[in-house]
Amino acid sequence: MIEILTAILSGSVILATPILFSALGEIYDERAGVLNLGIEAIMSLTAFVSLWISYSSGSYWMGTMAAILVGGLVALIHSFACVTVGINQLISGLLILTLADGIANFSYRSLSVTPTIEPLKPINIPRLSQIPVLGPILFQHNIFVYLAFLLAVIFGFILYKTTLGLKIRGVGENPEACDAAGINVNRIRYLCVILSGVMAGLGGASLTLGYIGLYGRGIAAGRGWIGIIVVILSRWSPYRAILGSLIFGLGYSIASNLIGMGVGVPYYFLLMSPHIIALFVISFMFKRTKGPSALTVPYRRK
Amino acid sequence: MEARFEKYISYPIGLLVALFIFSAILLIMGLNPLLSLEAIFYGSFGTIFSAGETFVRVTPLLLSALAFLIAFKARFLNIGVEGQLHIGALTAYLVASQMEGLPGGLSIPLIALASFIGGIAWLAISLVLKIKLEINEIFPTVVMNFIAMFIISWLCTGPIKDPNALNPQTKVIPTATWLPLIIPGTRLHVGIIFAFFLAFLMYLILYKTILGYEIRAVGLSSKAAKHGGINLSKNIISVGLLSGGLAGLAGMVEVVGAHHLLIVGFSPGFGYQGIAIAALGGFDPIGVVFASMFFSILLIGGETMQRGAGVPIDMIHILQAVLVLSVLIVQRWITVRRQK
Repeated sequence: MIEILTAILSGSVILATPILFSALGEIYDERAGVLNLGIEAIMSLTAFVSLWISYSSGSYWMGTMAAILVGGLVALIHSFACVTVGINQLISGLLILTLADGIANFSYRSLSVTPTIEPLKPINIPRLSQIPVLGPILFQHNIFVYLAFLLAVIFGFILYKTTLGLKIRGVGENPEACDAAGINVNRIRYLCVILSGVMAGLGGASLTLGYIGLYGRGIAAGRGWIGIIVVILSRWSPYRAILGSLIFGLGYSIASNLIGMGVGVPYYFLLMSPHIIALFVISFMFKRTKGPSALTVPYRRK
Repeated sequence: MEARFEKYISYPIGLLVALFIFSAILLIMGLNPLLSLEAIFYGSFGTIFSAGETFVRVTPLLLSALAFLIAFKARFLNIGVEGQLHIGALTAYLVASQMEGLPGGLSIPLIALASFIGGIAWLAISLVLKIKLEINEIFPTVVMNFIAMFIISWLCTGPIKDPNALNPQTKVIPTATWLPLIIPGTRLHVGIIFAFFLAFLMYLILYKTILGYEIRAVGLSSKAAKHGGINLSKNIISVGLLSGGLAGLAGMVEVVGAHHLLIVGFSPGFGYQGIAIAALGGFDPIGVVFASMFFSILLIGGETMQRGAGVPIDMIHILQAVLVLSVLIVQRWITVRRQK
């Protein structure tokens, strides 16, 4: 019994990782006043890119860098459309969704090989990983897992304790005042939108390189959307996003462990369970959530 | 009339950008873009049968786009059209399979009603959350999409699977429930007429009725509309019922019109394509008719391109996204410059 519990909890940390990456990027993005609904597909695309580049170059490092680059580039299109030109952010995000999914599946099907890789080996943290129960749950993971949780803390620190963080929060709440104070509103917004793509890229890379090792159509399977749901659940705080993504990580982990054990529940119900959790979270925990004031409003000097 | 200019100029510019990127990608891959374009045109209109296929595909695309459009007019973002059309298709199948022996004139309206309600039912939770708790509709509608697709996958591989079929699909529904064909020798069914009629009806509702006026008023400014005495909850319920219902019908036409059974993956993302179509059509019911025809030509032609020229159909999705993004960017760009 204790082994199963350990496996489930350890799995939930691994499965929270891609969600946490995407949620962190989206938090900065939304704090600056831009919504990026495309991250689900950016995750799928970068999951493919990181797999393919790692497979062909033999270097996971190159694969991860490529995912970051591609994620940032796709987000750049979104920021050009929403920040510079000012088209409807929701529509733009949904078109980015189609675009990134299209690029991912097109590239995958154009390949003559089916790239697969060995998922990254876990790095056992000396001493800590030897603690019974807690060690395997927290300290025997691949590099992406540690990176995600470390970044959550760093992101929280930057957002609340630095000038840059203040600027980011400012342009999302009151861009006019920030502009008057000499802050380049659109530059901050560009930075944050691109960051959301970069983080979704890390999320995608952590999915294939850290966990699955191969690509399939729609590989993100709702993790990008759940990342955005975690943003609201955590009330736009990187620290609370850790907890939020762990809740969903747990959902995914229970489902995958039960699938592994072959219990008598139909397979599709288990696959559905993170989404059922999401529905409950939305129904009971989204009441009276208010995002940044200038969210989805393009800024233009009067 | 001057304001129309940016709307029209944006289409050729958008098309040029999209074609440029399309050709560039194919050239990099060492394929001939002209041959691919030829395959698209031949595949979508080369024969009577393929032209029929193009119009068969217009039907769910147009209905999905209308479903998104009517809600968007009141600033209700129904991203759940995909899920609602899955449930609409499921209810269509469940009702149709019980209609053995009944004449089509009786069974088809019943099936349509069931699908309409099925689509609404799938939107209902999101609608209640929006009205009662002011929860943004984007998230529940998206989550419901995933749930709907898993339910269909489960049912079609288990409880309602045709035991003799290899694919995850159901048995064929009784022939009396099939939508009648317009042109024999093609698969073109009357659903297309029905869809065109609904587009026209939506135009009338939006621009010639009080309900439409209220929907547009809420879309422009919900605060102003509220001060003007419009009941916002009632307004959202109205667009929700129409939107969910239309999405349900989009699923129904695929079951009783195109496939005559329910199969996993029957919708290659109609709900999401509907969003792009609504945007391309300028969020106007008549514009959306043309936009859905254009999308259908690309998709049906794209299947021929995939078979003939070996270019994966996903190229078409890239082309569509680039096209709509470029059109929207150009429209907005010109509008802003003019205001200066």
